[in-house]
Amino acid sequence: MSKSKKLFTNIRVIILLVVILFAIVAINPHPLNKGVSIRNIKINSSASLAGIESPKPTSTPMSKEKIISINNQPINNINDYYSFEAGLKLNRTVRIKTNKGTYRLITKYRTETIVLNETINKTVTEEVNVTKIINGTKVNKTINKTKIITVPKTITKVYNDSIDLGIGVYNAPTTNIRKGLDLQGGTRVLLEPEKKISTDDMDIILSNIKQRLNVYGLSDIVVRTVADLSGNQYILVEIAGANEEEVKELISRQGKFEAKIKNDVVFSGGNDITYICRSSDCSGIDPNNGCSQSNGQWFCRFRFSISLSPEAAQRQADITKNLDIVTEGKQDYLNETLDLYLDNQHVDSLNIGSELKGRAVTDIQISGSGAGATKQEALFESLKNMKRLQTVLITGSLPVKLDVVKTDAISPSLGGEFVKNALFIGMLAIIVVSLIVFLRYRRLEVSLPMIVTLLSETTIILGVAALIGWNIDIAAIAGIIVAVGTGVDDQIVIADEILRKEKQVFFNWKQRIKNAFFIIMAAYFTTFVAMLPLMRAGAGLLKGFAITTIIGVSVGVFIARPAFAAVVEILLKDKL
Amino acid sequence: MSEENNNGGRFAKNKQISKLLEWYNKNYKKLLIIPIVIFILSIAVISYKYSTTGDFVSKDISLKGGISITIPSKDIDVSDMETYLSSEFPESDISVRTLTKLGEKTGVTISTSDIDSNVLLNSLKTKFGELDYTVEEMGSSLGKSFFKETFTAIIFAFLFMAVVVFFYFRLPIPSLAIVLSAFSNMVVTLAIINLIGVKLSTAGVAAFLMLIGYSVDTNILLSTRVLKRKGGEIIDRIVNGMKTGLTMTATTIAAISIAYIFSQSDALKQIMLILIIGLLMDVLNTWVQNAGILRLYLERRTKK
Repeated sequence: MSKSKKLFTNIRVIILLVVILFAIVAINPHPLNKGVSIRNIKINSSASLAGIESPKPTSTPMSKEKIISINNQPINNINDYYSFEAGLKLNRTVRIKTNKGTYRLITKYRTETIVLNETINKTVTEEVNVTKIINGTKVNKTINKTKIITVPKTITKVYNDSIDLGIGVYNAPTTNIRKGLDLQGGTRVLLEPEKKISTDDMDIILSNIKQRLNVYGLSDIVVRTVADLSGNQYILVEIAGANEEEVKELISRQGKFEAKIKNDVVFSGGNDITYICRSSDCSGIDPNNGCSQSNGQWFCRFRFSISLSPEAAQRQADITKNLDIVTEGKQDYLNETLDLYLDNQHVDSLNIGSELKGRAVTDIQISGSGAGATKQEALFESLKNMKRLQTVLITGSLPVKLDVVKTDAISPSLGGEFVKNALFIGMLAIIVVSLIVFLRYRRLEVSLPMIVTLLSETTIILGVAALIGWNIDIAAIAGIIVAVGTGVDDQIVIADEILRKEKQVFFNWKQRIKNAFFIIMAAYFTTFVAMLPLMRAGAGLLKGFAITTIIGVSVGVFIARPAFAAVVEILLKDKL
Repeated sequence: MSEENNNGGRFAKNKQISKLLEWYNKNYKKLLIIPIVIFILSIAVISYKYSTTGDFVSKDISLKGGISITIPSKDIDVSDMETYLSSEFPESDISVRTLTKLGEKTGVTISTSDIDSNVLLNSLKTKFGELDYTVEEMGSSLGKSFFKETFTAIIFAFLFMAVVVFFYFRLPIPSLAIVLSAFSNMVVTLAIINLIGVKLSTAGVAAFLMLIGYSVDTNILLSTRVLKRKGGEIIDRIVNGMKTGLTMTATTIAAISIAYIFSQSDALKQIMLILIIGLLMDVLNTWVQNAGILRLYLERRTKK
């Protein structure tokens, strides 16, 4: 009784227990979690039209929206979901109940759109705000205006034999531990820029790849830069649950940017654009023509300047000299717009100020707008659109080509199988190690705390991983093995030091534990420094291993080991 | 050690073990020859490998570039696959392996360094239909730089470790003995995986780093027990340390053997195999080589 009281009032034990508690909260285990979680939502799909949103890539696994039932039929796993989807007919209403709300979806056929390298002219109707002076008073009016735009030709293939709700799903996670790509399936691509680039350029490339993948409808992505010891730069892209070929195609494309008037290319990304202003003096909300309200909607215009090369400016002059001037609002514009295309896809159409007609100017101003229900919202939208456009322009003018140097595509079924396998191995290893420890010491007071410490260390490592959003993949599992293995080794050192049968004038617990920790700290420091070079070596592909090992041995040495020593001391003190 | 003398020998309760330790005590100088001979043989194996292939270890595609496709299917026959692929790509060097778990077939892995992944996959799909697969593709220049990089990482790790050891013990010869023991452990392990024909992968490189950690641990234990403790003869301190050290090695080997036997991942299997070999060799390097050097050192010092 007094022993158990001593145990639970010992500061080292309390620290360990508190840390374990935090780890469990971070892991948030729900072993019986049912349902399917939403990984992504396809653009223009039934689901996106119904208002279901793609989860943020930073959201924790347990916080992702989870489908509980469809048409009051419970959905327990992805097989339920897919078999339900397979039984759907066209134009039916489907009620999807998630843990966040209920949505009504109208079923659509599965479609696939391929963008071709040809363009067609298309007539579209556009709402245009005009200010007219009627009887001496200004009147804001919205009129419908038809115009012809050039868009890339697309072929849409409709699969009228299957329905696609447009939701990417996976079995609902049971913990907050993020599984790495090797454990859940997906694609990893390592890209290398053709030549060395600055960090600013690298940031632009990263945001560009993210944007492209988001446009494509993939949200569960990791895009980051990695460097190695020789200073080579790489870009690592990891996408959960995506097919290898489509992703490779998407991100290794250079990002061809073109600005066209009718069908003539005025300037394209690369050498034509020499400078893009992103500072506040020449980019931002248009000071002359800022925000306006009409029909309960707010519109805010942005503008920023770019510089064209002399050749591009001359091309612009040649093309614009034959265009007519129209008046829209307070401004005079040319009757054709400047249409921007990225990789042959229409991005935006810009009005061209009439003063540019036929003139070879190198500094031009590009403008656009954003709309929203409130002024604040419109401002925000406008600036967001500006940033996106600048990103596109900057990326287009980046002459660097990315080479795919490594790809891994991991089948989801293999990944799932692997998790079960790893858990099984972990359990068996713990049992066998416990057995050896018990046979060696034949004292429960030593072997039981050893096993408990081993389990709590694993829990804490996983808790830290869940907390910092670190992915547990095969490399991390190897790291956990090192950490736990070293942990057991250290505890054996402590136990042997305490149990040493040695004639001493007086039995000094403190000295013995100090002796043990001398060895333990030396082992800790050597492991720690040995892992440091791996943080960067080899494009950071072994970083996961190094970090998990370092976290693991640190948790062991500073939290678990002192508690173990205290427990054994309390349990054995009067028995020796 | 008077308590332990009741019914057994000097070092242990069991007479056989005690006799063995007695013999170990008397012949430690002669025993030192064993690790030296093994070390020299290992250097010879590695040099032979280097002179014949230009590399001191066989590398798999993750370190030299190429593709590897894993198909988790029990139904595909390996020899069938081999004949098909060699008729499809007569010029190429393709290796097909069966994946097993507990002797049971779980799938096949195809690796090659001179066929494009799409070409190979299409060819496989025409023959076997739609497949569930995992592809790993590594550019050859990246593979090369990766190997160089991780090799540098190991050297740095080793140097850092050596600095810590010297700083910790502050005695040149015992510190050198620890570093030497860890070094010969790595060299011998490398030679053995060369002999049994393992193709080193990136995971294998990580295993060598893990090995540095484990092997240094037992050496530090030994040196601390011998140098920093008082009481008893040197051999008693060594034997005491050995009890602890062998328990450490036993638990680790038990756990990693289970992982080796049951793991489905090639990467983990290779890590475990290298660790098993390394830890077995570490027993020799720590308790014969390092212990022998320490005894020689301490005996010289007392003579002076």
